[in-house]
Amino acid sequence: MKPGKFTYHAPENLHAANQLLAELGDDAKIIAGGQSLIPVMNLRLAQPDHLIDINGISELAGIHQENGLFTLGCLTRHADVETSPLLMDKFPLLPAAAKRIGHLAIRNRGTIGGSLCNADPAAEWPLIAILLDAHLSIQSSGGERHTPAKEFIQSVYTVDLGADEILTTVAFPPLARGEGWAVNQICRRTGDFALVSVAVTLKLDRQGHIERLRLCLGSMDVTPFRLIDVEQAARGKIPDKAWIHEMAGIAFDAGSPESDMHASAQYRREMAAHLTSEVLTEALGRCRAGT
Amino acid sequence: MLNKTAFSSIGKRQPRSEDYRLLTGRGRYIDDIDISGALHACFVRSPYAHARILSIDGADAEDLPGVVGVFTGNDLSQWTTKLRMAPPIEGVKPLEMTTLPIDKVLFHGDLVACIVAEDRYLAEDAMELVDIDYEPLPPITDMFKALEDDSFLIDETLGTNLISQQSFATPDVHRIMSNGDKVIESTFSEHRQTHLPIETRGIIAQWDAGCEHLTVHVGNQATHPYRSALAARLRISESQLTVISPDVGGGFGQKIALYREELTVAALARYLNQPVRWREDRMENLMAASHAREDWVRTRTVVEADGRLKAMSLEIVEDFGGYCFYPANYLARVIAMILSGPYKLQHYAYDVKVVLTNKCGNGPMRAPMAITSWIMDGTIDNIARELGMDPVEVRRINMIREDEFPYQMATGETLEDINPFETMEKGLALIGYEKLRKQQKADQEQGIYRGIGICNVVESTTYGSKFYKSAGIPGSGHEAAWVRVEPSGAIIASVGISATGQGYETAFAQTVAEGLGVNAEDVSVQLGNTDVAPYGMGSRGARGGTAGGGTAYLAGQDAQKKVLAIAAKMLGLNTDEQLSMKGGKVWRRLDEDWSDTKLTLADVARIAYLDPTNLPQGMEPGIQIHKTYDPPSMTYSNSTHFCQVVVDVKTGAVCIERYLIVENCGTVINPLIVEGQQHGATIMGLSGTLFEQVIYDENGQNLTGSLADYLIPTATEVPDLEIVHMNTANKRTPAGIKGMAEGGVMGAIGALSNSVSDALLPFGIVIDKHPISPNVLRTLLREKE
Amino acid sequence: MSGGNLIVMEKRPITLHINGCDIDVLIEPRKLLSDVIREDARLTGTHVGCEHGVCGACTILIDGRPQRSCLTFAIQAQGKTLSTIEGVVGEDGGYTALQQAMHEEHGLQCGFCTPGIIVTFEAYLKNNPDPTEDEIRDVLSGNLCRCTGYQNIIRAIKKAAAMIRVDVGGA
Repeated sequence: MKPGKFTYHAPENLHAANQLLAELGDDAKIIAGGQSLIPVMNLRLAQPDHLIDINGISELAGIHQENGLFTLGCLTRHADVETSPLLMDKFPLLPAAAKRIGHLAIRNRGTIGGSLCNADPAAEWPLIAILLDAHLSIQSSGGERHTPAKEFIQSVYTVDLGADEILTTVAFPPLARGEGWAVNQICRRTGDFALVSVAVTLKLDRQGHIERLRLCLGSMDVTPFRLIDVEQAARGKIPDKAWIHEMAGIAFDAGSPESDMHASAQYRREMAAHLTSEVLTEALGRCRAGT
Repeated sequence: MLNKTAFSSIGKRQPRSEDYRLLTGRGRYIDDIDISGALHACFVRSPYAHARILSIDGADAEDLPGVVGVFTGNDLSQWTTKLRMAPPIEGVKPLEMTTLPIDKVLFHGDLVACIVAEDRYLAEDAMELVDIDYEPLPPITDMFKALEDDSFLIDETLGTNLISQQSFATPDVHRIMSNGDKVIESTFSEHRQTHLPIETRGIIAQWDAGCEHLTVHVGNQATHPYRSALAARLRISESQLTVISPDVGGGFGQKIALYREELTVAALARYLNQPVRWREDRMENLMAASHAREDWVRTRTVVEADGRLKAMSLEIVEDFGGYCFYPANYLARVIAMILSGPYKLQHYAYDVKVVLTNKCGNGPMRAPMAITSWIMDGTIDNIARELGMDPVEVRRINMIREDEFPYQMATGETLEDINPFETMEKGLALIGYEKLRKQQKADQEQGIYRGIGICNVVESTTYGSKFYKSAGIPGSGHEAAWVRVEPSGAIIASVGISATGQGYETAFAQTVAEGLGVNAEDVSVQLGNTDVAPYGMGSRGARGGTAGGGTAYLAGQDAQKKVLAIAAKMLGLNTDEQLSMKGGKVWRRLDEDWSDTKLTLADVARIAYLDPTNLPQGMEPGIQIHKTYDPPSMTYSNSTHFCQVVVDVKTGAVCIERYLIVENCGTVINPLIVEGQQHGATIMGLSGTLFEQVIYDENGQNLTGSLADYLIPTATEVPDLEIVHMNTANKRTPAGIKGMAEGGVMGAIGALSNSVSDALLPFGIVIDKHPISPNVLRTLLREKE
Repeated sequence: MSGGNLIVMEKRPITLHINGCDIDVLIEPRKLLSDVIREDARLTGTHVGCEHGVCGACTILIDGRPQRSCLTFAIQAQGKTLSTIEGVVGEDGGYTALQQAMHEEHGLQCGFCTPGIIVTFEAYLKNNPDPTEDEIRDVLSGNLCRCTGYQNIIRAIKKAAAMIRVDVGGA
């Protein structure tokens, strides 16, 4: 298990990285944290001719609150999200999600950008980015473009990224005041990829009716996905036990999960229902604590 | 004062002397040994489960700069002999294998060729350039299908895939079984697992052309038998071969046999006249080192109305994979021989079949007989369910009581010096069994499914030569040790056992110190080098303490005898009867009191080596003791495991709330080490029951080649274990020592499985296969909902 | 070193800063940091157990943070501060509190996973001197051990944390 040969590039700025990508095209691969890429290179399942290391591009790291958004540079390590005082205070959903990724040593190296570009349907960041309608900024030598997470993540390990493009930042719109949230997952062991994951945000109005619901399921299809119709239909409803039960039933039927050696599709459906009920209850608790 | 009866070194809770180097990064594992100019080997492996090799073209690979060569089965057959596994055992068919396959590969990951290059990176580059033409053959992945008449054959020369079958029946068993009593049937199946030492296998071989001597460094549990095998297959003398097993990162049974990769590397080092090294990667380790377990078991039992066992029959079918690195009856036969454990059973029959399939070859893994206690206590639980009795009552009525030992089992094996009834009763009191049962009922009404699982273990340890003979397994159970006192009084000891983490250096120092009457810190134990250690049978079958520590203890005692004889002369006494060693000094008894003679071991050693004319008449100079010892046929330990779980019926998750072990493992050499072994064994058993599984698909593709797919628990998935000791010495072993490193696996499998069945009793679910994953439990529950 | 900074597929000299020393090595860019530390820097206390980031045996500190050395190329570690088990030394040159506790509590058997665990918790306890058992288990979950069943490792870490707290409190 040793990687094949490659030519190593360490551009010092984004512009140089874009130029290299434009030059080398499909023969090149960007390495950020490398926590998903290097294992497959060690197994020689991936053998890029060129590796473009963006770790030295300091402008790509960092957590900022700007223009009402929380913007994370693509090189932000999971552990930095997990321990960011700003996020722990203002956006605790993100540290809570980061904490569920792999193990400490992996979180210390792996990046949010890498996770999004890898687009594993069981991974944490695609789930959260789609849940929260994150805006992604993408840079090529031709310029910058922006795309919502749900359009960026297209399928298993497939994203909307041109050969010369680099994901630079992920911007999360903050939760509304009093908006509850919860993230949960079923894993075989701590740190394993989720067999099923569910994330939710829930905003109630003063009368306790649902004002806004966002519900996102992971590992239940080729990408994490929101239950948009259900979210809209929930507006104005009272989130009682019967409603939670109904939502669990909807989650059960959602998506088209696969069977693999760790879990059958049927098990995944059951757990989607179970987790939906759990996270809605937890999020409701947060709503009520916040109001 | 000197107390002659109690142990002074044995029984001490002494932290290990091995730790310093391991805690500071100074250990020396295979990969840490720097051999200048060593070439690196890597192996091309089969992508098919079953295929003919039509051709191998290594020319492009050999053209790569830095590549020394690509070597095939035909090359290796010039330099090595075949392995012929043909033990003279009734019912076991002979099998042969070449060093590397020549015509046919037998499992996904089987060897095809060996590449030697200047480094491992280059060797893997070359691997991609080897061009191999295969003709795929139908894969045999199901042992029951392998037994069908029209099955494709793993080895055409055998005419069958049934590599071993052995049966036994007491005279009346079949008559009793067919008397018309209701026959209670239970099945158990254990899935395929692998040892997963965190250090994978590895070897470095160096040929000294001038001396015509081969030195190999290899992580191995039994260096002398290994040396015998390697010398024979290289057609060299054992005197031309030194085997050194340095620090080893875990073995668990995987590092006993001489593997084909290691033989290949050794042969190539000699052929190339250059050192060659190989370190297995994790994928190879998971797919192709050695697997274990995978069997299907059925018991059929008839009982009296009160639950007393009248007769029982056992069937085992074991999937052994494609190759036999051990005699095929090696593992399953022991299960059959010791099955009834702590229970009285005189009418018994067994039939044990072992089958070849297109999977990695099986071998012994910590507790080769691991499933035994689950079969027996699981059967007892089924009897209890059938009769509507409490499972504890059925255990009590069948248990061999104190006054019934020694007890001869139906198979002829004799149990003695164990206390299963006492360990069970002690545990029942500690967990508050009656109260817990009431609590369980109340909880069930609230939708909380709590289960209590009990497993009584009689652990077969320290197999003596006599057991091997009666079980029809080739081999000896003896062990060897030497103790030397050097002229300065320095003490060095060795045993023919090599360590893979068990703390033998510390434990053996304690037994030598006990025998010799010195402090354990003053004994240096040197293991794992065949030039240094005496010829012993290695570390396996929970024999380290009794065979290894015991032989070292006896050697220490002999050394003390010699020391005292010399001391008597030095003190001008006619006899040494009133002398004894303690703390490295000679003590003398005058009336009832012991007094220090001021004579030290160093004083005595100086005479022994440097002034031999002052030795007693006829005594040889020096203090060098060599001792061999063959332990009793079998040394049994026992324990009772209690596992309390809550099953979340929504998610299928099993939460272990409490785990208690009441254990009798004889005289404990070092409680710290013994508890560590019991932790490790028990967690390995829980791990195998809940998580681990080697999975082959229907094409024989191994799907579990990474640690993301082959799961062992992390620190967040294991319970804390409570261990209570009720030790009684074995009367026939040195210092009363018994083995103890495998029973934890046996107990854990049984106690956990039984506890989950107990929790799911309201659903009518009985666990009869593993792993008990949430997915599996949900599938079972779904059928009942 | 302008943009692009192309390095061809050959060995190139780099300097690694390990345990306070600068070590010059000549390596291919594809060589894993774990291999370079072990083979080129000859610091063999860092072990390689899986090469796909799961087992944790190869964990070292990069700029003070535990990371997998098998999931980093050595060439990426230039300019970083690396610490390995060989750099874990107590004040008097003996054991640190954690090493001492691991020894006393029998927190290691074969010892192969041990260096990864020690470096992880040397760093962790520095920032988290009073962890709960759940927190210890969570961090330890990144290091697989096949021998001990973890119980004694957890006990040792708790003990070490207490020793460190007393030390700090007393100072």
